[in-house]
Amino acid sequence: MSNEWEIVIGLEVHVQLHTRSKVFASSSWGFGKEPNEQVDPVVLGLPGTLPVVNREAVEKAILFGLVVDAEIPEQCAWDRKNYFYPDNPKNYQLTQKDFPVTMGGKVEIELPGAARNIMGEHKWIRLHHAHLEEDVGKLSHSGSGSLVDYNRAGVPLLEIVTEPDLRSSAEASAFLNALVAKLTQAGVADCDMEKGQLRCDANVSVRRMGDTQLGTRTETKNLNSISGVRDCIIYESKRQIAQIEAGHKITQETRGWNAEMSRGYVLRDKEDAHDYRYFPDPDIPTLKISRETVNRLKKHVPEAPFDRQRRYIEKLNLPYTAAAVLIADKALADWFEAAVAAHPTNAAGIANWAANDLLRELSAQSGTEVGSDETPAVKVSLDSCLIKPAQLAGLVKLTDEGVISKQQAKEVFTEMFSTGKDALAIVEAKGLRQNSDTAELEKIVAEVIADPAVAKSIAEYRAGNEKAINALKGPIMKRTQGKANPVMIDQLLRKLLG
Amino acid sequence: MAKGLDIDHLAKLARLNLTAEEKVLYSNQLTHVLTYFETLAKADLPAVSDVAMVVSEKALRSDEPGVSLGSDAVTKIAPASHDGQISVPRVVDDES
Repeated sequence: MSNEWEIVIGLEVHVQLHTRSKVFASSSWGFGKEPNEQVDPVVLGLPGTLPVVNREAVEKAILFGLVVDAEIPEQCAWDRKNYFYPDNPKNYQLTQKDFPVTMGGKVEIELPGAARNIMGEHKWIRLHHAHLEEDVGKLSHSGSGSLVDYNRAGVPLLEIVTEPDLRSSAEASAFLNALVAKLTQAGVADCDMEKGQLRCDANVSVRRMGDTQLGTRTETKNLNSISGVRDCIIYESKRQIAQIEAGHKITQETRGWNAEMSRGYVLRDKEDAHDYRYFPDPDIPTLKISRETVNRLKKHVPEAPFDRQRRYIEKLNLPYTAAAVLIADKALADWFEAAVAAHPTNAAGIANWAANDLLRELSAQSGTEVGSDETPAVKVSLDSCLIKPAQLAGLVKLTDEGVISKQQAKEVFTEMFSTGKDALAIVEAKGLRQNSDTAELEKIVAEVIADPAVAKSIAEYRAGNEKAINALKGPIMKRTQGKANPVMIDQLLRKLLG
Repeated sequence: MAKGLDIDHLAKLARLNLTAEEKVLYSNQLTHVLTYFETLAKADLPAVSDVAMVVSEKALRSDEPGVSLGSDAVTKIAPASHDGQISVPRVVDDES
């Protein structure tokens, strides 16, 4: 990519809200049901039916607004977006054109660092607004016909529209990851992309570096994965730059994305689609949003993930990598904090267990891949985790106090994970308690030093080779059956070798 | 004809194939409707707020799933169906 060009991206993110019934109809919804099983007369827009707005959907939308510091207007209203296409049985989609449920807002993103353990640059992406609308049915195509399943029609959909603040595919990925974290951690949406719960349209334009005017943009519809958004932006920006460099103009157009072939194409069918002839829906009155509701929902706004990350790094002295892993999953971060409360002097030690060993065991148990591209939020369930936070704190405490070695702690952890027993109980039952009786240990150390087999190592150590001392630790460990405290062995060796 | 009424464009948006006679017929009918609204818009009315059309959150529905029709009932009212899905002419936006 030439450095002369700047890529300008705005995203429209469609998110299915976490509710039990549809947004204007009481029909239930959920993934994996038989076609047209979750359809009622309101979804179909049959004569005589009236839509009634789902309170939970409105409150989830307001909660989202609060999570991203958006303004919650006094009123919101719904409009009809008219179009004739079989994915919608009513020939119009209920949406919000002029009076959306949230206005403005911003999302903090983190770009990849130079290495995995280095935190990347942070940046704020402004939101234009978010509006609450209904999802449309699903079409599948075979031979000469198309088939329609209206189960998805009427599912509450929040369309989150960004300002054109994104400047690269990496920023777009980072934004979607940050947005998913906010939506899932606040319980607004599940964002399972494999179930189509988050879909994205990408508006892409390019301009010469330094230009202040935006270039002509294209809109690529229905990207259903973060990697799809990333690949599409790379493809589309390259295409536009090549067009301009060859002396062509960019046509403002709607495009589709072929994920298998990693290439975009023009959606000819959508050429006239911008003429939606919106008008206020006469069936749904304008909704006044009370400040009491807004204030009540404010209490449900969780700590922002990156605020939490900063707190972990600055106040709890966690390494960036551990902090980043923990904040990606609110349940895991809450679990970690409960453990720290039980043993506050070594948060980094607890974080190391939680972010590595615990997460690895949990994901092995549930069969999910940790931190893959399509599941940026680590998806493990702590519900079935037998180790309780205070128990992990107990394990770290035993290690910190030198009762068991770090190596032994691994063994204890494995047993804790499979049985849910306390660390101390396992240590006692297995006789793992380290021998910290100085007199007894000193006798063993003295005997080992006197063994001619280690004379060479002793000479080397005395000659200045620090590492040579390690050769004496093995025989001592062997004679104590691994129960000696390694720190004490080291101290005693240095004392006795003078 | 009322301002802005383009029968060809409207027919295209509505995916209707109209004959020349139908175009004239529907243009006239739609023009009558639009003229009626233009007359209404010209009426000198006192400034009435839209407050009657604003509701509080009491008018919202609780998130309780209700009864669905079932796919048999849904496909029965559709012109054509196949395996519980509604059959329509092919509308796919193929890669071109």
